[in-house]
Amino acid sequence: MKFLIRFISRNAAGGTEQHDRLVDAPIITMGRATDRMLHLRDRRARLEHAQLEDQNGKVHITTAALAGVEVNGRSQRDARLVVGDVVEVGSNILRVIEAPPGSDFAFTFELSADAERDASAPGHYAAEAKRFSMRSLSWFLAAAVLLLALVVPGLDVVNPQFAAVARGSKLLPDDTWWLAGPVHTAHTAAGADCQNCHVAAFERVPDEACVDCHEVNRHVAGDTHAVLGERRCASCHLEHNEPPELVKRHQGLCADCHRNLPDDVALENAGDFLLDHPGFKVSLLQPQVNASGETEWVLQHRLLADAQAADRSNLKFNHAAHLDEAGILAPEGRRVIDCAECHQPEPGGARMRPIRMDQNCAGCHSLNFDPDDPRRTVPHGDPDAVMQVLIEYYSARLLGDDPDAGEQRVRRPGRALTRADRDRAAAEARVQAMQVAEDLFERRVCVNCHEVTRSDDPEMPWTVLPVKLTERFFPHSNFTHAAHDTAASACDGCHDASVSESSADVLIPAIESCRDCHGSAVARHNNASQTPSTCIMCHSFHFEAKGTYP
Amino acid sequence: MHQSILAFRKRRYLWLALVVTGLSIAGFWIDDPQEPANGGTVLGYTLGTMGALLILWLAWYGVRKRRYASTAGTVQGWLSAHVYLGAALPIIVLLHSGFQFGYNVHTLAFVLMSLVIVSGLFGVYVYLKYPQRLSENRGGANRSALIDELEDVDERSKRIASKLPPEFQELVSSGISRLQLGESMWQRLRGRDLSQVLLKRGNDYAVVANPGQEAALDWLADQQAKCREPETAAVIGELSALLRNKRRLLKPLAEDLRLQALLEVWLYAHIPLTAALLAALLVHILSVFVYW
Repeated sequence: MKFLIRFISRNAAGGTEQHDRLVDAPIITMGRATDRMLHLRDRRARLEHAQLEDQNGKVHITTAALAGVEVNGRSQRDARLVVGDVVEVGSNILRVIEAPPGSDFAFTFELSADAERDASAPGHYAAEAKRFSMRSLSWFLAAAVLLLALVVPGLDVVNPQFAAVARGSKLLPDDTWWLAGPVHTAHTAAGADCQNCHVAAFERVPDEACVDCHEVNRHVAGDTHAVLGERRCASCHLEHNEPPELVKRHQGLCADCHRNLPDDVALENAGDFLLDHPGFKVSLLQPQVNASGETEWVLQHRLLADAQAADRSNLKFNHAAHLDEAGILAPEGRRVIDCAECHQPEPGGARMRPIRMDQNCAGCHSLNFDPDDPRRTVPHGDPDAVMQVLIEYYSARLLGDDPDAGEQRVRRPGRALTRADRDRAAAEARVQAMQVAEDLFERRVCVNCHEVTRSDDPEMPWTVLPVKLTERFFPHSNFTHAAHDTAASACDGCHDASVSESSADVLIPAIESCRDCHGSAVARHNNASQTPSTCIMCHSFHFEAKGTYP
Repeated sequence: MHQSILAFRKRRYLWLALVVTGLSIAGFWIDDPQEPANGGTVLGYTLGTMGALLILWLAWYGVRKRRYASTAGTVQGWLSAHVYLGAALPIIVLLHSGFQFGYNVHTLAFVLMSLVIVSGLFGVYVYLKYPQRLSENRGGANRSALIDELEDVDERSKRIASKLPPEFQELVSSGISRLQLGESMWQRLRGRDLSQVLLKRGNDYAVVANPGQEAALDWLADQQAKCREPETAAVIGELSALLRNKRRLLKPLAEDLRLQALLEVWLYAHIPLTAALLAALLVHILSVFVYW
C-alpha cells in the first residue's frame, strides 16, 4: 500500500511549510525510537508506540500501549481510520485526508504549537538523561530489607505455627537469618528452634532454658561462689561464636579471684599454672580400724611431696620386680611384661581400669593348693571360703565322694561306713586342711600380696587385711591418658614404676613433670616446648566428683 | 581560592579519622574479653555504638547539604569529614564484628555498608579527577557554547537543504530529530551514538543507523557523485561540509555527556544503598536483642 505522509511544520515567520513523503509498505511504524518510520517527539509516546497497517485494503491504527491512542478524542487500541479522523499521541497530530492520485492512503503529520517550540529548544542536544528515581529506589531497597530481614523472620518469634512453616521452607526467610554465628554442634537438636533457648524476646537466655536439658551441680548452688554475683550459665557458656567454644577457657575466669583469695577461704592461692600454682595434693585412701575391729577407708588429701611412701592399700606389690628387664617367671616361662598388660584404659581413655586379681594377677599367681592336683584352686577374696573349700576337699578325698581321689578312700569295698569312720575321717580332713591353709596363708600364696595376721581362733586363725586401691589420685582435675598418649610420652616418662619396690610408693608425677609441656597461660613466659595452659585445661568449674572427695 | 575537600583545613578530619581508627585498633589489641572477639563484649558494644552513630551522622550529610540556612559548619567541611570518617568506618565495624561473618542479616549490613563506602570512594575519585577532564574536553568553552554552535550548523543545513530536492530536506530534518546521544545514563556512560537518519533509496525511504553522521555523509557523497549539474553538486558539497562540521562538534559533546554521567552515576548506588544500609542496621540491632 502506498502511504502519503504530508509533514506540516511552522517556519520562523509564523507560516507553515509542508513536504510529502510517499512510502510503499504494508505498515507504517511510529514511536519515540529513532528507527520508527514516523518519529514521535514526545515523552508520552512509547519507543514503539503504534502502527498503521493495511487490513484487506482498509487502514487500521493498532497499538500495544495500554492507554491506546486517541482517535477523535477516544482512546482506542485498534481503530479503522477514514478520511477526517484525527489521531493524537501526546503533541503529535495525524489527520487523515483524501488520498491524492498515486497514493492509497494519505494523512498529515504535525506537532502542536507548543510542542514545536520545545523540540527546537536548546535542550535538544543535551536533554536530561532518562533516569530512574533515586528516591523510589531507596524506599524500595529499604522496604525490601525491612520486610525480608525483619518482618518475616520476626513472625517466627510471634507465631510458632508460622515459624514451623518458614523454617521448613527453602524460600521463606526465617529467623536463622538472625544467627549471629553458628550453633555449636552440641546444640544441633536444640538449635533447630531458637525459642528453645531464647525463651522471651528482648530477654537474655535464662538459666532455666539450660537446666531443661543439663544437670549441673557444685558451684551453681551459689554457696561456694556466691562472690560471682548473678552469673548466668551464658556468662561462661557462649553460643554463636567463631571459633565455636561453648566453654570459656580464659585464665581470668578462675584466676581473677583465685590468685588472691580472702583469708577465710581454706584454699591456697593459684593464679597461673607455671608461675603461681601450689604443689599437687593427692587424695589417698587410708585404712583405719574402727572400734569393732573392722577396716574403714578414709580419704586423705595430702601434699604429694610429703606423701611419697604413703599409699596404704594393704597390698604388697613390687613394680620394679614385675618390670624386671630380664623378665619374670610366668606359667609359660620367663618373659618381660609391660605396663599395658595390667593397666588398661577405660573406654574413652580418660582413666585406667581398676586392677583386679582375677583379670590382672591370676594368670601368674595361681591359687592352687595341692601339688598333686594343680587344677584345684581356692577362691579369692574370702578366707572363710578358702577354709571351707579345703575342708570339703580333704573330706571328700577321705570319704570317697571325690572320684579323682579314689585310691585314697577310707571305705573298704563292700562295707558301709560307720559313724565312727566318718568322724575320724572328718577330723583327719580338718587337720590336713589346716596344714595346707597355714601353708597358703602364711608361707606360699596369700602372704605374697596380702597382709595376713594370725590369732588364737582355732576355727579360723588367719585374717587377711582388706585391700582397696586408690582410683583417683587427683579427683579435682580432669586428666585424660588418651590425650597424653603421644610418641614422646611413655608411661615411665611420668610414672617411676620401674624403680619402685614398694606399693606404698605414690607413683604420681609432681607438678614439675607436667610443666615440661604445660606452661603459663601467658605465652611469653613459656619455653619452646610449653603449651599455654589455663586453669580450665585441668580443672572444671562444675565438679563431677562433688561430694565424693574432699 | 579552590581547595580540595581532602585538603580542607590542613586535613583536620584525616587526623580525626586516624585518631579514631588508631584508638579502635589499640582498644582491640589491648582488650582481653575472655571469649572470642565479638559484638557482644564491652569493647564490641562500644565499637558497635560508635559505628552506628557514625553511620547515622554520615547519612545526615544528605540532609545537611540541603539546609542552605544552616550554620553548623560549612558544607565543604562536612563533606571533608564525611569522606574521611566514612573511610574509617569499615575498620571500626570490622573490629566490632571480631571478624566473624556468616550468611545472616548482620553480614548483610556489613556488605551494604561496604558497597556504600566503595561507591563513595569512587565518587571522591571522580570528583577529584573528572572536572579537569571535563574542561579539557570542552577546550575552554562550556557546553552551551558547543550546543549553540551545533544549532547554528543545523539552521544553516536546513537553509541549504531547502534549495535541494525533498529527500535532502528529509535527510537534514530527520538527522536532527533522530539524533540520539544520551537518552539514558547508561547510553551516556557507554558514549554510544544511536542516531538514525531517513535516507531515500530508490523510490523509498529507509531508516538507517547514523553514528557520527557517517551514513548521512556517505549518502551525500553518493548523491554528489551522481549529480550531473555542477551547481547542485556544489550545494551538496556545501551541505557535506556542514555535516562534517557537525560530526566534529558531536564528539566532544558525547564525551562531555559521558564524563558528566560518570560524575553522577555513583550516587545512584551510594544513596539507595545507604537507605538499604539504614534499614539493615535497624534489623541488625533489633534482631540481636530480640534473641539476646
